[in-house]
Amino acid sequence: MKAEPKTILRFLLEHYDAIAELFETQSNEGIIKFEVLNQIVTKHESDIRSQLIEYKILSPVNDNYEIRTVYYNLIEFILSEFKPMLPETIEKYHTSIAELFRKIRENINGDKVTLSQRLNDLAIEVRSFYEMVERNTQSLLQETRELKANVKKIDYREKIVRASRWIDEYIIPLNKILDINHSTSVANKLYEISEFSNKYRLNFDDENARVQFEKLYFQLIQVNDNLLRQSKILTNELLPLIERIRTESIILTGWITYLKNPYKRKAPKLLKRKEVSVYSKDTFYNASEIFEQFKNETDVYFEEEENEAEKWIFDKEHYTKKLKDNLPVENFFSWCNKTLKEDYKKVEIEKFFALTTLAFDEDIEREYGAKPQFDKIKINDLTLTVPKVTINQQSQLIDPQHGIS
Amino acid sequence: MEFPNHHRQIVEDLMAGKFMLPNERTYQTVKDNEQSYTYFFKASFNYELRLTQDYAYVVSEESAEMLSRDICIFIALLSYELDRDGKNFLERIQFSEFEMEEIENYFTNSSYIDLILSNKQLKDADARKNFINTLNRRNIIEKTGDNRFVFTSAHKFFVDFATDIVKYENTEKEG
Repeated sequence: MKAEPKTILRFLLEHYDAIAELFETQSNEGIIKFEVLNQIVTKHESDIRSQLIEYKILSPVNDNYEIRTVYYNLIEFILSEFKPMLPETIEKYHTSIAELFRKIRENINGDKVTLSQRLNDLAIEVRSFYEMVERNTQSLLQETRELKANVKKIDYREKIVRASRWIDEYIIPLNKILDINHSTSVANKLYEISEFSNKYRLNFDDENARVQFEKLYFQLIQVNDNLLRQSKILTNELLPLIERIRTESIILTGWITYLKNPYKRKAPKLLKRKEVSVYSKDTFYNASEIFEQFKNETDVYFEEEENEAEKWIFDKEHYTKKLKDNLPVENFFSWCNKTLKEDYKKVEIEKFFALTTLAFDEDIEREYGAKPQFDKIKINDLTLTVPKVTINQQSQLIDPQHGIS
Repeated sequence: MEFPNHHRQIVEDLMAGKFMLPNERTYQTVKDNEQSYTYFFKASFNYELRLTQDYAYVVSEESAEMLSRDICIFIALLSYELDRDGKNFLERIQFSEFEMEEIENYFTNSSYIDLILSNKQLKDADARKNFINTLNRRNIIEKTGDNRFVFTSAHKFFVDFATDIVKYENTEKEG
């Protein structure tokens, strides 16, 4: 590179807006297309294309461009706009750290220069590992808070998808990497190295190596503390927050779906309270039962009952004559009873009373004894106490039709 | 024959369609005698007892469909409006007190106004006031003043229903 470092830094400062826009384009699209580069350059009214290539800020990829990693990381760091990395990317540190540690342990008494180089490399790997974890946690937290505030107005269903993906693909695997109790986790390996360094920082024949072990040991203490803090952020803040976004989004999606047409969708079952009402279900069935009786109506005929016993009409003329023929009648009421018994099998009380009315005729001569005498007459179940009345022969009985006869 | 404590209260409350809540002594009795009460309600009334960690209630084949639907609409609208207002709707429903004035503001300015006006129990302030009393009788809310109330844990019955809608739709799509 021919340009002076200060020239490059000054160039970055002077054209920061255009470079930031190029960075954003690459972050979103993965590459900077030729025409997009031209548009950005035209927009900022300065043709910097040749410098971008000359200072090795941009490198050509086919007909398009991309920002070189070193500049990309620098701008990313300045802007604090990290994209969450998949834990697989972070997991690679487990291999590099474990391999370096294995070689240090196995060759602890070997070449001191190599040991020193390995200790140095291990410290760099540990630092890189931690920085990546921290960046990832922060970027996940930032993305989650944005999702919560929904600044990009994302649909609820999309929120559920994103929240679920972050939990399953980023947070849970990252938490595994940071779990010190998990035997294959990076955090567990760092703890093992920390124990090893502690031992050799105090007891090793080479002073330079002892100093490096001590430096590594204190770095690991710091890193372990920081990792613990990151782990707490993940489990105490990020995971509950993202879980809540997921739960809330599911519920709201459900409600919005329901509100689209609540009258066509079934609601959850609630107990119907039983109330006494004339408009109850039973009333309907009771009423229909009554009406059903008339559905198959058949004609019913009532035969007129024949009156077996003809209505008895008192024939006053007949009995007046009979009384006249039997005069004198010593005991009128006994005569009535006897006469009726002769004419009918059964003597009804109404016939008896009808016949006795003959005794009240004004024209007959009745005679009562000096002392009132009474008789008992039995008509069916009834026993009548009647006075003894004598009808004499001399009396003139009136013919009911022709007057006095 | 011996019945558990508060038996009469339990039967009266559940038969009135109330949600029984964990802070009520009757809830504990039902929980301790879950099997007996499940059998009791099934054999006596053909009702199904449902007991969760948040509530106990009975359900019959014959459902108060209209009331259930209106409660769903009420909670759905409130959740939607709280979220639109930038509030954590689930936290607010779970832990906060509501004033009727706040409810009125949300409902009168809602974009779902057509749905609200077409619903007899939610159409205006008076109807909503009566509706709140109905929710109170069913133990879905607890009135903390003339114009204030909090949701009880029975609200989860309806929230679970919203979750089920999404699950059901997803299953249908997958099917």
